[in-house]
Amino acid sequence: MARVRRPGARWWVGAVGLVGLCLATGLQPAFSQQSVSVRATLVKGALPADDPTAAVWATAAVSEFPMSPQVHWPVRITEVTAKSVKVRGLHDGTTVAILVEYSDPSEDPDDAAALEFMVGDTKAHFAHGQPMAQVEGGPVNIWYWKNKDGKGVDMGAKGFGTLKPHAHQDVKAKGVYQGGAWKVVFSRPFHTEHVDEDTQFKPGEFASIAFAIWDGKKTDTGQPKEKGSEKAISSWWYFRADAPPDYSPYMYALLAVALALGFELVLVRRLKKGS
Amino acid sequence: MGGVLVRPIILTVLIYLFLKFIVPTLPHSAPLPSSLIFLYLMLTTAGIVIFATLSGASKDAFFGPIFRFLTGESGGALSSARYLVLALFPLLVGWQTYGSTAFSDAPPAENRTIHPAPPGEYTGLSNPVPKTPDNIMYGKGLYASRCSPCHGNFDGKGFAAPGFTPPPANFKDPTTIAMLQESFLFWRIKKGGVGLPVEGMPWKSAMPRWELELSDEDIWKVIMGEYDGAGQKPRTWDESE
Repeated sequence: MARVRRPGARWWVGAVGLVGLCLATGLQPAFSQQSVSVRATLVKGALPADDPTAAVWATAAVSEFPMSPQVHWPVRITEVTAKSVKVRGLHDGTTVAILVEYSDPSEDPDDAAALEFMVGDTKAHFAHGQPMAQVEGGPVNIWYWKNKDGKGVDMGAKGFGTLKPHAHQDVKAKGVYQGGAWKVVFSRPFHTEHVDEDTQFKPGEFASIAFAIWDGKKTDTGQPKEKGSEKAISSWWYFRADAPPDYSPYMYALLAVALALGFELVLVRRLKKGS
Repeated sequence: MGGVLVRPIILTVLIYLFLKFIVPTLPHSAPLPSSLIFLYLMLTTAGIVIFATLSGASKDAFFGPIFRFLTGESGGALSSARYLVLALFPLLVGWQTYGSTAFSDAPPAENRTIHPAPPGEYTGLSNPVPKTPDNIMYGKGLYASRCSPCHGNFDGKGFAAPGFTPPPANFKDPTTIAMLQESFLFWRIKKGGVGLPVEGMPWKSAMPRWELELSDEDIWKVIMGEYDGAGQKPRTWDESE
């Protein structure tokens, strides 16, 4: 019978090291915050759907996204005013409010901002749902606000030149200009009856979101500096409304601990019997 | 005494250190994702166990210390370590279970193919425009007016680039145009982002569809100007064979 060497005092140090290795590699928790998404948190009180300056906005997580001149479509622009937008989100369980904040040296009647979403599960190109050669794309839902109109417009598009307001108007918007910056809040119920035209929000699930900004300052020609497809844009980022608190993961974790303990007890007992 | 176990552990640690710190420094390499490192370590562990159980004697030598540790026969300082391991294991299982069932703030993973295969009619096309200094210069001029706002000085850092994800390609990077044929660039420039197949995620690309604004001849000239400006050479069929 082979002689079995007794373990020394060194090897268990290695075992603990191996556990540490597992911790450092495969067992990383999957809840780190990313900077590529807008997070709408649940508010207990009234939703500031028509108040871009409400104090409760300070409690919402802020995300910042860089903006670029629109270059995809031939009627393009090379220099835009808005270099980035700060975005916050809040919801009350039925309605979502999204606050867009950006610098603009002057308040002008043609200043405007917009949010864009995909509709349903079909992918849509971020530039107004442009047709794609090898992928059957879907439409986009655009929430538009212009200073001189003072309201939100619910719109749809499937390619440049197809943008038009929906027959139904579910979006509200309000803008406030303060200290060289616009704060514009858009709001809409999570769900609408027009699932083929409107994006529908499911708390806890990610949706795609993009931004557009127009500096409406008049140039020497009398035209706004930015208009139509001459605007500041972003490509797709992510948006998610927080789901209601869910404690089931804690229960699953406790159950897993109990099962692991039971496994250990049975294993050690069997080993002792075996020896 | 614990040599039978010390060696496998040292081997595992060395492989981890190699994957984590050495591999990213190799040419054309990148940091490995933790999930891949974990997979390699599991494969290593499986190999060690298979090796250790090739014979009855080696199996006893390998598992003996582990069994004695778990049953508390080792005694001494190892008793404390035994309780530590027995307490840590269920907690780790619970932690992992929580991590996999709790809501994640991480957006969906995107496995975008950066250089997907072009449609068949573009494969193997050769540049019909003579590579003369004048044509290259003309292509560079077109690049300056049409491409540089996003692609910058051939480095992907144009002033219009920051808002776009995925970012404009860096042509000086050896993993972009240097490993592509001119026919691939012709397709990408002509059809733009919306011409990509589904694995290229065309809905995210800001690349214009230049066939709306440039002739085929001009696109070939842009390609020549691009390679010349970036100091790269296109991949050819001869080199790829």
